[in-house]
Amino acid sequence: MSHVDDGALHAYLDGELPSAERAALEAHVAGCPDCRARLTEERALVERASLLLGLAQPVERPAPPLHQLRQPRLLWRLRVPLAWAASVVLALGLGYSLRGPSSAAIPEAASPVVAIDASPLLATEEDRAAAPAPKATASAPRQELSRTNQPTDGLGAGLETKTGPDSFARTPPPVSGVVAIRPRAELRNAAPAPVAAAPAPIIVTESPPGAAADLAVLRGRLVATEWPIIRREPARRMLGSEPVGVPGLAVRVIRRSPTGDGTVLVEQQLDSSTVIQLFQRPASAEVAGYVTPAPMRFDRRAAGVQERASADRLARFVGPLRVEIAGPLSQDSLNRLLEQVQPLP
Amino acid sequence: MPEDIADVYRSTYRALVRFLYRKVWDAERAEDLAQEAFARALVHKPENARGWLFVVAANMARDEARRAARERRHLTLLKSEPETVGSSPEDEIDADTKRTQVRAALDQLTPRDREALLLWDAGMSYDEIAAQTGLARGAIGTTLARARRRLVEAYDAGIEGGQHVARG
Repeated sequence: MSHVDDGALHAYLDGELPSAERAALEAHVAGCPDCRARLTEERALVERASLLLGLAQPVERPAPPLHQLRQPRLLWRLRVPLAWAASVVLALGLGYSLRGPSSAAIPEAASPVVAIDASPLLATEEDRAAAPAPKATASAPRQELSRTNQPTDGLGAGLETKTGPDSFARTPPPVSGVVAIRPRAELRNAAPAPVAAAPAPIIVTESPPGAAADLAVLRGRLVATEWPIIRREPARRMLGSEPVGVPGLAVRVIRRSPTGDGTVLVEQQLDSSTVIQLFQRPASAEVAGYVTPAPMRFDRRAAGVQERASADRLARFVGPLRVEIAGPLSQDSLNRLLEQVQPLP
Repeated sequence: MPEDIADVYRSTYRALVRFLYRKVWDAERAEDLAQEAFARALVHKPENARGWLFVVAANMARDEARRAARERRHLTLLKSEPETVGSSPEDEIDADTKRTQVRAALDQLTPRDREALLLWDAGMSYDEIAAQTGLARGAIGTTLARARRRLVEAYDAGIEGGQHVARG
């Protein structure tokens, strides 16, 4: 037998050489010092390669029970289309929101809201089949949303009918960008409404996991807060003290929580494109029912940016107030800004 | 035959996650994809569940890589923030470096060599690797020999290169 080739040596070492060839190889190696040496070398190579691959191991975590996988989770297939859809919708929303200060003139009344759910437009039948098994954390905030959004005008009601209120409430699709946009016409025509009107719905912007870092999404989330705008004096009354902010930064707008929980939101302009939000309320205020416009976090796959922006908002007590900060900045930067917070001059 | 899939799940889930991890280089993503593959297996009930799972997983990883490439292009448009790097213990940094080196070394293999090596490491037999890659069974040993050699050489070259840079 001629010398053994590498392939046969590796197959032999892997225990994959058919028995006849194995016997021949062993016989040859026994009488051939060269091949014996090569066998030793190749064994070392096999071990080394295996060792190297072992360095590239994921952290082991227990497998979820098989029965939990019954529904194929096709979310990930939808992520990108949804990311784009949501980005487009958010960009539109951003456009409206950037009309910004003009919205100060808009009465803080119940603004009709169009709830656009991207999923039904994109979901295939297969995906709908998967829909009844949303992640548990997704359903709760979603129900919250469907309760909060109460379209009152023709346009809102029309769309609501189209997507189907039932399907909206009962079978939340696995991933969706949900955005409420105030229609342009309504902006123009909105008649001043009584102050006692129903609170404006909160816009919940939810960045699609796949493109969580999308700047438009980040900005959209920040400026899309549809909390009613209030002036300084009512804010002071609600808080029982001066609202707080980062010294030296222009106050863009002050808002109040529509749920009547006494939370005041001060938005400050960090630079032309960056807004930070300071949620504040008396430290003694009831915590239950405290609603923030933080994006729902229902997918652990969300990118780091989103997690930083939403997961655990930094908080601190400033005088009698509990203050939380949010913005498209690193936790570090937010923390530094939060440390500077003091009553507005 | 759900019982069979339950067995396969127990015996193969880890290997499938590992296999996927070395393609997508994200542990959670790898788990997601592995679970997705098993969920599909429950629906499709393939004859040879193990082989089927690896084929499906490989396809999903390929789609994933394309998607990731698209998203990377998209994300480069964004102003990136400096990552806040926590104070990791020395060995963690070291493990990270090694993992990066292994990844870089694997990238230098031809797709077919890499596939064969990863499948072997995931516990597939030569027969299974042949079925999956389309290689002749007799060629698997040679393919693995080449893949292993290149992996080790590329890794060592990467480490040396890194030290070179560090020194220089």
